[in-house]
Amino acid sequence: MKVKIKSWTGVATWRWVANDDSCGICRMPFDGCCSDCRLPGDDCPLVWGQCSHCFHIHCIMKWLQSQQLHQQCPMCRQEWKFKE
Amino acid sequence: MGSIWQDKGTVTFEEKWPAMRPTVLKLLRQECVSRAEWQDLFWAVHKVCLWDEKGPPKVQKALQDDILDFITHAQARVLDQHEDQALLKAYISEWRKFFQQCNYLPLPFNQLESALAGKTTTSVSKKVQNDDSIVRKLMLDSWNASIFSNIKQRLQDSAMKLVHAERNGEAFDSQLVIGVRESYVNLCSNSGDKLQIYRENFEKAYIEATKSFYRVKAPQYLEANGVQNYMKYAELKLREEEQRGDKYLESFSGSLQNLNECCVEVLVTTFRDTILAECSQMIKNNETDKLQLMFKLMDRVPDGIQPMLNALEEHIVSAGLADMVAAADTITQDSEQYVEKLLDLFQRFSKLVTEAFNEDPRFLTARDKAYKEKGIGNKTQPESKCPELLANYCDMLLRKTPLSKKLTADEIESKLKDVLLVLKYVSNKDVFMRYHKAHLTRRLILDTSADSEKEENMVEWLREVGMPADYVNKLARMFQDIKVSEDLNQQFKETIRTTTKSSVADNLNIKILNAGAWARGSDRVAVSLPMELEDFIPEVEDFYRKKHSGRKLQWHHHMSNGTITFSNNMGRFDLDVTTFQMAVMFAWNQRTHDKISFDNLRLATELPDPELRRTLWSLVAFPKMKRQVLSMSGEVTSPKDFTENTLFWVNQEFAPIKNGKPQKRGKVNLIGRLQLSTEKSKEEDNEGIVQLRILRTQEAIVKILKMRKRISNAQLQTELVEMLKNMFLPSKKLIKEQLEWLIEHKYMKRDDDNINIFIYMA
Repeated sequence: MKVKIKSWTGVATWRWVANDDSCGICRMPFDGCCSDCRLPGDDCPLVWGQCSHCFHIHCIMKWLQSQQLHQQCPMCRQEWKFKE
Repeated sequence: MGSIWQDKGTVTFEEKWPAMRPTVLKLLRQECVSRAEWQDLFWAVHKVCLWDEKGPPKVQKALQDDILDFITHAQARVLDQHEDQALLKAYISEWRKFFQQCNYLPLPFNQLESALAGKTTTSVSKKVQNDDSIVRKLMLDSWNASIFSNIKQRLQDSAMKLVHAERNGEAFDSQLVIGVRESYVNLCSNSGDKLQIYRENFEKAYIEATKSFYRVKAPQYLEANGVQNYMKYAELKLREEEQRGDKYLESFSGSLQNLNECCVEVLVTTFRDTILAECSQMIKNNETDKLQLMFKLMDRVPDGIQPMLNALEEHIVSAGLADMVAAADTITQDSEQYVEKLLDLFQRFSKLVTEAFNEDPRFLTARDKAYKEKGIGNKTQPESKCPELLANYCDMLLRKTPLSKKLTADEIESKLKDVLLVLKYVSNKDVFMRYHKAHLTRRLILDTSADSEKEENMVEWLREVGMPADYVNKLARMFQDIKVSEDLNQQFKETIRTTTKSSVADNLNIKILNAGAWARGSDRVAVSLPMELEDFIPEVEDFYRKKHSGRKLQWHHHMSNGTITFSNNMGRFDLDVTTFQMAVMFAWNQRTHDKISFDNLRLATELPDPELRRTLWSLVAFPKMKRQVLSMSGEVTSPKDFTENTLFWVNQEFAPIKNGKPQKRGKVNLIGRLQLSTEKSKEEDNEGIVQLRILRTQEAIVKILKMRKRISNAQLQTELVEMLKNMFLPSKKLIKEQLEWLIEHKYMKRDDDNINIFIYMA
C-alpha cells in the first residue's frame, strides 16, 4: 500500500433532531434560538417531554411557570415530564 | 480754655500756609524734603482742614497757583527746544519728574480731599484712591492744559520717528516713547473712558506708522528673497512687533490686539495667495518646517487654512493614488506588500500632519477624509479589494507563516493595530469581517494560529474600533466553541482507546461545532471516505448521541483534513491534505501504477464534478511546487479543461525540492487555503453579501422612520449612513431601491405635499 492515513481531523456541526421544524411555543425554528436569546446553540437548548414534544427550554419553562395547577404539555395536554 | 483759643488762632489758612508753601514747592521741584518737613505738612493740612472752615478751598487755590506756576516754568524749559528730538527729550525729562510728583504731592492733602468732599471721617478719606485724588487731577489737568495739548502732535511725531528708527535697527532710549504714551494715558480728563485720548491719538498713530512701514518693506522683501524666506521674515516681524507693542503700547487696552490685527493684515493677508501658492509644492516635498511656518502664519488669517487643507487632501489622494497605481500589479496580488504600502503611506501622511501642523484637528479631519477617499478610490472596480487584502494581511500575521515567525509578538501587535487604523477608513467593513471570519475559521480548524492569545485580543480590538457587536460576538463564540470541542475530543479519544484497536484511532480527532456560529448554508458534499475513516464515522456519531441526546451531526468533509504517508520511487513523504485530496489519492491504493480517467475517479470518490475538478487541480498544479503529486495526460490551463477521459497517475518522481535537490523524506502541505464552502455555495456567498446589505438597509430605514415618524430625504440619508457605516457604505442606488421597495410594501409613504418627506406607516 502506498498511501496511509497518519492522522485525520473530522469536522462536523451539530443540529437538533426534533420531530418538528419550529418550536410550538415561540414559533421560531429549532435551528435558531428562542425569541429571548441572540445566538442558537448550547445557550438555548431544546428539551423533550415524555410525550415526545420538543421546545426551547426557555419557552417551556416560561409556559410551565405560568400554569397554576397542572403542568401540562401545551401541545397534547398530557402532564409535562421532562424526558431523561 | 485760653490754650484752645490760642490753638485756634494759629490754625487759620493764612497763618499756616507760609510754613507749608516751601515744602510744597520743594516737592514740586523734586528737591530734598526732610522727614520733619514732610510730616509737618501732613499735620498742617490736617489742622487747617479741621479748624479753618474756609481753609480747604483756600488751600486748593494756593496749591493750584503754585502748580501752575511750576508748570509755566517747565513749559518754558520744554518749549525752548525747537528741534523735535530735543523737544521730546526735554519734555520727557520734565514729564517724568512731574509725573513722579503726581504720586507724592497728593498724599499730604488727603485730608483736604475729604474736607472738600464735605466729609470729615478719616475712614472715608483713607478710601480715596490716589488716582482719583483732586490734587493729582489738578496737577495733571494743568499739565495737559498748559503743555501737553500744545505740543502733543510734535511729541507724537517724534516718538513715531523713533519707533521707525528702531525698526530700522537703530538703538535709542525707549523711555522716550513710553513717556509720551504715559502722558496720553494719564492726561485724559474724560473719566468715563480714560484711554480715549490715548486710543484716538497715540494708538492710532502707532498702528498707522506700523502699517505704512511694512506696506513698503514687505513687498520689497518678498520680491528680493522669495516666498519661503518671506514667510520666515513675516513670522519674525510679527513676533518682533508683538514685543515692541508690548513695550510701547498700553497693556490691557486692547491696543496689542489691534496692532496684531494690523500686522497680520499688512504682512500676511496681503500676500495670502502668493504664500498659499507654494503650499502644495511644500507638501509634495514634505517640507515640514516650512509648512509649519506657513501654518502658523495662515492660522492668523481668515480663510487661510482652508486652501491648505484642500492642498493636503488633494496631495494625499493623488500621491497615494500614484503610489498605488505604480505598484498596482504586485500589490493587488500580494496582500502583505499592499498593506505595508498602505500603512507606509498612512504613516507618512500622519507624520506630515503631526510635524507640519501640530496635529491640528482641522488637518486631521482633512487627512481622514482623504484616506477614506483613497480607501475606496484606489481601485477602479466599485468593490475595492482593500478589505480583502487587509483581512489577508491579518491572517498572515495571526497564522503560523514565515512572516509571523519573523516578527516579535510586539511587532505583530503593532502591525495589527495599524491594520485596524487603516480599517477605519475602509467603507466595506462587512467585506473585511467576512474575510476575517473565513481566515479565522481556517486557522481554528487547521490549528494554525500562531498565538491564541493574540487571536482573542484581535477580537476585542475589533470590538473597540466599533465593529458591529453581532459580528464580533460570533467571532468570540467561535473560540468558545473550539474549546468545547477540544474537551469533547479528549473524551472521545478516551472512549475509542478502549473500544477500538485500530492503529489510526489514536490519531483521529473530531471538531464538533455549533452550526450557528460557524457554518453558512447547509452545503453537504458526498464523498467516499477511505475505509478506516468510513468505519470511524458511526463511532463518532454513536459517541455524540450518548453525550447529547436530541442532536445529530452533520459532517463537513470539505473542512476535514489530515496527514497521509505517501511513498513512491523517490522516497516516503508526509502530505498534509484535505479529505477530498485524501479520497482521490486513495483511488490509487489498490492499483498504484494505473492511469485513472477523470470519469473513473468520479465513480471512485463520489465527489461532485466541480469539487473533483478543483481537488485534482490542486494535485496536478499546486502553486509554487516544482514536482506535483499527480501527473496527467494533455495540457490544461484550468480545472475546467479536464475532460471525462483525461488520465491521471501517481507521479513516481514526486519529491519536495530543497536547494535544488529532490529530498527523500519530508512533509508537504497540499491544503493551501482551506476551502470553506463548495463551488455552488461560493456564488451564493457573493449574492449573500448583497442580499444582507439589502436587508440591513431596509432594517435601518425602518428603524429610523420608527423613531422619527417624519423625516426629510436628506436627513434620512445622513442617518442611514451613520447607522451603517461600520458595516458598509450604502450606495445612493441601493438606498433609493430600498426606499421604493418599502413604499411599495406600505412600510412608509411620501408626504402628499412634499415628495422629499417620508412618513412612517405602522
